[in-house]
Amino acid sequence: MPGRQLLMSFPVTATSHALADYRARGGYATLEKALASMTPQQITAEVTASGLLGHGGAAFAVGRKWSVIRLNDGQPHYLCANADEGEPGTFKDRWILENAPHLLIESMLIASYALQVRNAFVYIRGEFDLPFRRIQGAVDEAYAAGLLGERVLGRDFACDIIVYRGAGSYVCGEASGLITSIEGKRGYPRNRPPRLTVRGLYQRPTVINNVESLANITGIVRDGAEAFRKVGTAKSPGTQLISISGHIAKPGVYEVEYGYPFAKFIHEDCGGVLGGRKLKTIIPGGISTKVLTAAEIEPLKLDHASLAAAGSSMGSGGMIVIAEGTCMVRLLQVLLRFYHHESCGQCTPCREGMGWMHRIIDRIVGGEGRPEDIERLYEISHANDGTTICGMGDAAGYATVGILNKFRDEFEYFIEHKRSRLGGNLEVLPNA
Amino acid sequence: MPEIFINGQAVQADDNQTVMQAALAHGFFIPYFCWHPHLSVHGNCRICTVEVEGDGGGWLDIACNMPVAKGMRILTDSDKVRARRKQTMQFITLNHPVDCGICDKAGECTLQDYHVAYNGSPSTSRDPKVQSTKFFPLSQRIILDNERCILCTRCVRFTREVSKSNALGVRNRGDHSLIRPTEDRSFDADEYSDNVIDLCPVGALLSRRFHYKARVWYLKPTPSVCPGCERGCSIDLWHRRPEWKLSALDARQNNRIDRVTPRENPAVNGPWMCNKGRDLAATFERARADQPLLKGRPVDSTAAIANARQLIGDARHPVALVSSWGSNEELASFKQALGGRFECFVKADVAAAPGETLADAILIRPDKNPNTAGARALFGAAPPRFAADTDLVLVWGEGTNFGDLPPRAKVIFLNAWLQPENGHADVFFPISVQTERAGHYTNFEGVESAFAPCFAKADTVADAEALFAALAVGPESGA
Repeated sequence: MPGRQLLMSFPVTATSHALADYRARGGYATLEKALASMTPQQITAEVTASGLLGHGGAAFAVGRKWSVIRLNDGQPHYLCANADEGEPGTFKDRWILENAPHLLIESMLIASYALQVRNAFVYIRGEFDLPFRRIQGAVDEAYAAGLLGERVLGRDFACDIIVYRGAGSYVCGEASGLITSIEGKRGYPRNRPPRLTVRGLYQRPTVINNVESLANITGIVRDGAEAFRKVGTAKSPGTQLISISGHIAKPGVYEVEYGYPFAKFIHEDCGGVLGGRKLKTIIPGGISTKVLTAAEIEPLKLDHASLAAAGSSMGSGGMIVIAEGTCMVRLLQVLLRFYHHESCGQCTPCREGMGWMHRIIDRIVGGEGRPEDIERLYEISHANDGTTICGMGDAAGYATVGILNKFRDEFEYFIEHKRSRLGGNLEVLPNA
Repeated sequence: MPEIFINGQAVQADDNQTVMQAALAHGFFIPYFCWHPHLSVHGNCRICTVEVEGDGGGWLDIACNMPVAKGMRILTDSDKVRARRKQTMQFITLNHPVDCGICDKAGECTLQDYHVAYNGSPSTSRDPKVQSTKFFPLSQRIILDNERCILCTRCVRFTREVSKSNALGVRNRGDHSLIRPTEDRSFDADEYSDNVIDLCPVGALLSRRFHYKARVWYLKPTPSVCPGCERGCSIDLWHRRPEWKLSALDARQNNRIDRVTPRENPAVNGPWMCNKGRDLAATFERARADQPLLKGRPVDSTAAIANARQLIGDARHPVALVSSWGSNEELASFKQALGGRFECFVKADVAAAPGETLADAILIRPDKNPNTAGARALFGAAPPRFAADTDLVLVWGEGTNFGDLPPRAKVIFLNAWLQPENGHADVFFPISVQTERAGHYTNFEGVESAFAPCFAKADTVADAEALFAALAVGPESGA
């Protein structure tokens, strides 16, 4: 395994997700400790000191988000675990939901105690079946064991967790889209200001954290911020669950300590590119991050600062490996079809831009590309950068610009010759 | 009162204002499609983007959702802002059909104006546009052209925040999004639905009544007051401009109310009006009476006036039923000329139609006459009552059943419409209607609103104000 483990530190068995096994691993002792001996302020201070960064994609410091919540301000606060894991290539939260649901529940209880939350939500994507059954089962177990409800662990602390299933929209994974969806409205993201920590769910202060970010809370409170900071790098403490897929020999979810060498992770831990092919490029953190070529990842370490310096990002940890011989024009077509399909249609640049880009790339792939199409794709991408209500327009632009910057020649070839230089391949045959 | 700077000029903004509100309040224009002063902020059209000057270059954000902050420096027309607006207009017009030639909105369309002001160049796209439903029946009154729709959601917000019918929503995603009626509500039941036609910044929401009826540049709005109920909403009556008068084709178009829109009046109706008011043409375009009658026999007005004066002069106990559709000026003239001679009662000219909404919490009021308050102020609120010796009744305005009048009393009748009762009166005068004269109504809250004439009255039709002065019977009338 690449580096030390914080979350995947136990063997997965047929019962390892259940309450009994979790308790045998020391589960809910941290909650007990927190309720017995810590104040909410101390917990938030500990989380802030740990330097834990959000794992949903934007890497916003969790402690900073929590610190915005004013305790005893006379209003209800809400906590939402964002389990609407929809970024293509990302399936890391699914591992936590399936295998460590009680870790998430314990962490959410600690967070609820720290943020004075009475009602917490798990917003889980509708397509998740086993993860939903696991987390709902764990919540039911926790209620039966007195870990949720009016008196948590028999103490004067009440908290309910509601598992809410989404109806299948990428945009509902965006924090404000998520809360409008919980409110029962169409999943449209909201304009900021106000920030959600000021006016979020039901117009009340709301903290929305990624599942993996929350799952780290228990460990931080149990072992202290000091111990957490010893893992990873100074600027990116801790670990990152990376879900790797695509043309890779051993796809799956890996827990990677921040600072682990990128190339070593691909070539040794994940067994290299499928079929012994050469590596062409990698989408490092979900399709909304800019692609990195084989040469670019060589010196890189897997942490936020290192990838940011290379012009990309760790994103949501959804890594997609692309082997030599893959047609990037067709790859971009797949991505743009996705963005077109998932644009919520609320604000103008994304609603119109996504469809426009999709139509252009469809036309190129159909052999009717025009020389100005590449510039047009750049223009549309830039016109979506920072102009939309949520980050989706930006994300589609990053993905497009990243691929165009590095593989422009393939697009020019396709437009000029009306066919792919690489036979339009997206798959790699194992014996190729 | 934070001081902010717009285009370098200091402006005193209010604490809870947005940059959009502060700018508009101080005469700076920022374009907008989705923003509306009476609806919540959705910030989806992005055309109101402005530049905020800051350290290390400014940043761009939408003005409609930007709270003012002390010392903030806003640029509404910088190069960056212009470039961004141009991009946004390219997006907004990307799938717009540009069928202005057959669009009712052409000439008063925000999209047309902004295209000229902020874009001005043809689409950079050469791909086919997304095709969608033309003429989707949104209700009995409104059709929707989805291709023209820019999804600003003003109409959706209106049904949620103002009319509370929740009858509209957005279906589908992305550039396939469609405004559609919600499944469990009826837009037909929304008594304020036509307001969405005015709210629509483009020609997507179309009135069936106005559809293909006129080009707006041939029309002129005349300020008026809706006589549909005692609220007395301020309205504009749109009719053909006199300078574009048709001499060939159908000349009736010259004297037609083409449409009715609300005129913003915070004291009465805000920016809205109900659907009943939209259909005023049906009220005003009923067949008109244009001939004075003596017991059903046409006479000239001089003969009619002489007869009426005779009746008034001879009566021992004359009673007048005063119209609640008369203007304050007409009522005052009646009071002055005949008020001392007649025992006066205010009558309701119009009662609520079967099935009509009597009242609601928004605008609609139970009394369906516009000037009951003005009439009662002069003639009291007592219901009409006829003493046994009543020998003359003057009925002003429609809505009186002649069978209810004392059987032996003579009747002088003033009415604008062609109705059978006209011939049953001893003397009948045709009078002008609201669209042919100026005047004022006083609504139930005591607010007086003015209306102006749209059309000239026919020569044979009397102006009530002048008629009453002519009917005033000499010195003995006071006795």
